[in-house]
Amino acid sequence: MLYDKIMALYPSLTQQDFLTVIKLQNDSDGKGDYIAKWEHPTLARPTEQQLDGVK
Amino acid sequence: MVSGNMPAFSAYQATQQTGISATTWTKITFDTKVFDTNSNFSSSRFTPTVAGYYQVNGSIQLTGANAAYYVAGAFYKNGSSYAQFTLANGNTNYYCQSTGSSVIYFNGTTDYVEVYAFGTALGSWSAYNTQTGTYFNACLLRAA
Repeated sequence: MLYDKIMALYPSLTQQDFLTVIKLQNDSDGKGDYIAKWEHPTLARPTEQQLDGVK
Repeated sequence: MVSGNMPAFSAYQATQQTGISATTWTKITFDTKVFDTNSNFSSSRFTPTVAGYYQVNGSIQLTGANAAYYVAGAFYKNGSSYAQFTLANGNTNYYCQSTGSSVIYFNGTTDYVEVYAFGTALGSWSAYNTQTGTYFNACLLRAA
């Protein structure tokens, strides 16, 4: 799950962050979860490589 | 006054939508229509072909979390969040229901609206697929 991978990379993120500066989305089109918005003031948007590296 | 074949529809989720990732805005599917007067509702999307101002209502009910949590729904107009529903708290004893309504302008050609939902807590969610729990409807208030 994308959310779990992001939390593994950035454990300091809160649920509030995902309602404000970060938006994960799934359009129910079979393409899965994706990052629709990343506007966190200090943490960089994770790369595909970083996400793929999370076990 | 709404008259003639002015668009109005009502739909709900009869087939349960499962595997909704926590903390992820997910499009909710509505597979059963109660009515659709102008055939403007398809693939869980309302695209009215009469320009004007519409009253849009929605409700989502989610189940599956195993801890204290909350859920919210939202109307997405043309793919972007437009109006968020109430933020509803829940627990393991009952399902969480979030409802919302809004008056939205549609241009009668390309504008459309969908319902998305968001649930906190870990793991994944399922929608509570009943006509009273997860529904979506709209009607024309005033033509443009």
